[in-house]
Amino acid sequence: MPRYLVKPYMIWGILGVGLLSQINLMLLAKLFSSNYYAKGYPGFVQLFGKNAVRFFTFLGLFPILVKIDVLTLGVGEVVHQYIFPSMNSNWLLLSIFLVCFYVAVQGMEKTIRFVVIVFLSTIWMLIIFCPFFFPPIASLHDLYPLIPHDWSGISWSGLLLVWTSMSGPEMLVYLAPWLSPKQKMLKYLTIANTISTLEYLLLFTAALLFFGSNYLDKTRFPVLDMIRYLQFPAYERIDIVLISLHMFVLVFVNSILMLLFYGAIRILMGKGEEQTTLKGFTASLLIIFVSSLIINQWFWKSGGEQNIWMNLQIGVGAFTYFLVPTFLLVATKLKGCFKA
Amino acid sequence: MFWRKVKSRSDHEQHKPYNEVQNKAVTLDALKKLVANMDDVEIIEHQINPKKRVTLLYIRTLINQERLNEAIIEPLIHHSPASINEWISVCKVSEVSVLDEAQKQLMGGSILLHDCSEDQWFAIKLENPLSRSIESSEIETILYGPKDSFSEQIEQNITLIRRRLPLTSLKTEMFTVGSLTKTPIILMYIEGLTNPELVSIAKDKIHTIDYDIFLDSSQVAAFMEDNVHSIFPQFQQTDRPDLCVYALGAGKLTILVGNTPFVLIAPITFFDLFISPDDYIHRWLVGSFLRWIRYISFVLSITMIPLYVSINTHHYQMFPLQVLFVLLESRSKMPFTPFWEAFLMLIIIEIIIEASLRMPTKTGQTLGVIGGIVIGQASVDAGFASKVLIVTVGISTIASFLVPNYFMVKANRLLLFGFLFLSSVLGIFGMVLGTIGLLAHLNGMTSLKQPYFAPVAPLHINDWKDLFIRAPLRWIKTRPEYLHPQQKWRYSRRR
Repeated sequence: MPRYLVKPYMIWGILGVGLLSQINLMLLAKLFSSNYYAKGYPGFVQLFGKNAVRFFTFLGLFPILVKIDVLTLGVGEVVHQYIFPSMNSNWLLLSIFLVCFYVAVQGMEKTIRFVVIVFLSTIWMLIIFCPFFFPPIASLHDLYPLIPHDWSGISWSGLLLVWTSMSGPEMLVYLAPWLSPKQKMLKYLTIANTISTLEYLLLFTAALLFFGSNYLDKTRFPVLDMIRYLQFPAYERIDIVLISLHMFVLVFVNSILMLLFYGAIRILMGKGEEQTTLKGFTASLLIIFVSSLIINQWFWKSGGEQNIWMNLQIGVGAFTYFLVPTFLLVATKLKGCFKA
Repeated sequence: MFWRKVKSRSDHEQHKPYNEVQNKAVTLDALKKLVANMDDVEIIEHQINPKKRVTLLYIRTLINQERLNEAIIEPLIHHSPASINEWISVCKVSEVSVLDEAQKQLMGGSILLHDCSEDQWFAIKLENPLSRSIESSEIETILYGPKDSFSEQIEQNITLIRRRLPLTSLKTEMFTVGSLTKTPIILMYIEGLTNPELVSIAKDKIHTIDYDIFLDSSQVAAFMEDNVHSIFPQFQQTDRPDLCVYALGAGKLTILVGNTPFVLIAPITFFDLFISPDDYIHRWLVGSFLRWIRYISFVLSITMIPLYVSINTHHYQMFPLQVLFVLLESRSKMPFTPFWEAFLMLIIIEIIIEASLRMPTKTGQTLGVIGGIVIGQASVDAGFASKVLIVTVGISTIASFLVPNYFMVKANRLLLFGFLFLSSVLGIFGMVLGTIGLLAHLNGMTSLKQPYFAPVAPLHINDWKDLFIRAPLRWIKTRPEYLHPQQKWRYSRRR
């Protein structure tokens, strides 16, 4: 992300996007007070009708697939570049997918519960970035200008990337049956949004202080390159450990998305209310895995093609995060009006 | 798992259990048929008076002969009693009418008495309780605190608990399992404190147990656990009454099994396996420190050797030059890859540990020490293992024994081999993937349908006061939330 934001005044951009995201989350929190979503699939059928739900599900398959593929391939590429340069990246993908499969096969309830472990396993990594805020590494003038001289320098694509990075909570609507109705959703969503915003601010500011605006866009993975410079008396290359630990986040997100993908396939096949099966889940996972392998093998090698996938994921993520809460809220209100 | 196979009824479910006696009326002939070819069966017929004749039938090896003579034979010969109640006043007498019940009583150490004039059968409890004296626990030793431990006598074990919990709300429900062993099982819980849902889950699980032989509580646990294929214990086994009482007070259940000193505690969490009775005896800071040492030791025991393999195989660039020189020098004459070097040493260590357990105590200790030192030194000299690995294996092995639960120690060793394989294939990345898998497994597990990784996942922050640290007892005001006890607070007076 820092590579796309570059200028110090984009700090305000992150804060602004964080605020916009908060407004979106307020809309989302309102959805949870509706009975439709707590019922899960039957609730959606009640709201839209069976055929419409199948149509929306079909539309939803594509963003989920893109998200899983691009996230996995992106992280896989980082692992390939920083940890195992000589290894065939397909093996890395296979190992990641195997772990995702194991986590997801436990079921949605247990996979959601896994978030606590993921959070506790990764949140401390932010502490590693503290040395970048102190001299001699940090130089304060790299944070200027904080007010843009000319508005043409604002990276709108960077802001869109931040917005996409904030996305994900829209998926919670589909997880409503597994979430406690007593929970104060807005409170927790606000905490999560605040943590995300602060995390992006911390990483971007640290990258600015370390590289400066002039060099920030010259490196492909600025945050990882920064970490490589940190050394302990008996230990170097902390990036290897941190990249590996980042798998916690990837595996968790992938597992949730895989379960959603499987659910979507079941709805498409008209088996939304039937018992889930291991065979069905494995088959849907194979579809995802094969699609990842195909993209990795033929469409992810050169920079240009890779950018297409990245841009596609940014676009799709931003679009769903913006559209899903608004659309569902409007649909719920309209349904209420017609009922009345 | 979110998918479940629907179990089909197999043929063996239709089978009659072995040794089933139909509910026929008790007759002497039927009983004689039952006890045919049993040399330790005694049948005594005695004519009290012309009108009254009694028959005694019992198994000599199961009853207390002295009490039989004092309470039954002598009064029978010297006093010629008019009625059973007048005659036998010091023993527990119950009337028996069904053959199945008669068999149970006979095999449970009762004598069967037949009043021929009235044609009534009575069972008189005269069992010979074979039991050890109460000794201190050999498995879970502590320096300070209660020293007594359970024995094979189930009644004696109940007594040990009841003495510590003098409550009428401490309920004991008896079940029998094992078509051959007829092992008694006692389910204990505090009514009004323990979540009733837990009690009903436990009862349902006990009712579904169907097997022939139960010689230890671990076999009962094997039929009651939710995750059969997991390497982690889902029931805590202890022979310490104080631990059982602490568990009961927290809102858990205990399951006492006949003829074994080990009692089951459920539901448990992964973190319960790291708790030692010592923790509550020491000052809270010391207790917390020791608990941390145990957690760190567990992590070290499963990661140290895999880390050595990872770094030597994939990530040598993680070390500064000076440290790398030490490693290079240590491994310069090794004919094996780090994985095989570590694997061989671990197998040797496992062999030594297993051998020292099987040997008599004193020989075992000598074997462990001599075997470890001599083989370790010899493998370094012979060039089979590096000095660094020997140190690593030593620390890792010792660290694995810090976990108070024996079953966890064994699980630990298996985990180590798994991580060793992952580290050799994918280095630290593989180890992290393994850790994710392990944590996902723990997160997915349940003990009596309660989450195994509580209070971390699901998060119950209040229970953290007794998780990674052992806070001062006055701060631990509530019972574990994940158990949903009926009484949340530990104190009774208003504050």
